[in-house]
Amino acid sequence: MIKKHQPLRKFHDYKSSISRSPNKEPLWINSSSSEMSGPLFSEKIINKNDNDLTLNFSKIGEKPLGQEIFVHGFVKDENGNNLKNVLIEIWQANAGGKYRHQNDPSNIKLDENFGGCGRFITSSDGYYIFKTIEPGAYPYPNRGTEWRPRHIHFSLFGSMFLQRLITQMYFEGDPLIKSCPMVNSIPDINARKLLIGRLDLSKTENEKILGYRFDIVLRGKEQTFFENKREGL
Amino acid sequence: MNEPKKLIDTPSQTAGPFLHIGCTPRITGINIFKSELGLIPFQDISDNEAINIKGKIYDGNNEPIIDAMIETWQCDVNGNYSSNQGFARIVTDLKTGEYQLKTIRPGNKINTDGSLSASYITFWIVARGMNRPLITRMYFLENDLKNDLVLNNIKIEDRLNTLIPYTEDKKNFIFNIYLQGKKETIFFEF
Ligand SMILES: [Fe+3]
Repeated sequence: MIKKHQPLRKFHDYKSSISRSPNKEPLWINSSSSEMSGPLFSEKIINKNDNDLTLNFSKIGEKPLGQEIFVHGFVKDENGNNLKNVLIEIWQANAGGKYRHQNDPSNIKLDENFGGCGRFITSSDGYYIFKTIEPGAYPYPNRGTEWRPRHIHFSLFGSMFLQRLITQMYFEGDPLIKSCPMVNSIPDINARKLLIGRLDLSKTENEKILGYRFDIVLRGKEQTFFENKREGL
Repeated sequence: MNEPKKLIDTPSQTAGPFLHIGCTPRITGINIFKSELGLIPFQDISDNEAINIKGKIYDGNNEPIIDAMIETWQCDVNGNYSSNQGFARIVTDLKTGEYQLKTIRPGNKINTDGSLSASYITFWIVARGMNRPLITRMYFLENDLKNDLVLNNIKIEDRLNTLIPYTEDKKNFIFNIYLQGKKETIFFEF
């Protein structure tokens, strides 16, 4: 099967991908025991509030600035089975679009009540939930200054290294998504929509926390031929 | 009968330059989690069995990448993979771009056909500018590597040395990764 739903490594509109992607074709091989195995993380490494970014860094009795949201959903494999014991790590900017990171050049203020990271391990039915605040959009250098759509970074460990995934969730309705070169590096226009967290009013709490639904699918064992694979390689 | 419809796997996106916040938060001064992941690949590595691997990842301009995360995955001395050891998470130095890994040399295992499995460490790499992770392997012996890979593709024979580290004492290894250019590393797709 040829897949056009994974991004191209080299995508002209995303400047830093030009020098940070190989020029030669990759070597396609069958996965072996090293790809079919992987680390497994236990609940023991998780604290109770690790998935609540409005609480896990803030001072007692204080809250970060911004619109509080739930981000939740199911992690599945490509056959639709819910995946349990998947470690999810997330990170994001604060409500003003500033990361708690020494290399973030922006002048926007840090929020002393917001660290910007969380962890969760999916339950037996593959479900996960985070409570956080809506991150701000932020500018970055690309072709001149461009703006990243609001997003949350997601990192996932399935049961084998083949399923290891790092991605980003965008927010439904954000007008910046359309022009984002990282989103547009995905050739299949419909697949880009898989990265959008959908407003989920069924998950709104006490009329003060908004809900977003973001389901994630991890790949299986079958070889995945990308569009740029040449015959005979 | 219809084949059951497969779901499309979620597209990958770059981890960006600030991946440390979520993956190695202590580097950014965030100390809220019980522990960092993959600090050591194996418990209680003795001085005798320890090997040290270091190197840099060079981009197409021959600049070391300072915002990369590498996850390594390997078997134990007997050639067995286990879900509770063999994993390490390291980042390249924010100033110099150098990474360092202290681990043990993975062993070989006898395959069902009587042959020996190859000994290597998998390197899984993400950074700003990488829309998908790059995957490569560090082999210890040229023979291992040839048995493992050359059958797959004769065209890469002149680049096989990109998967072998430099060492003088078989204890300290230098394994640089080149994304482009004459020394471009072999990357894998599965
Ligand atoms: Fe970001």
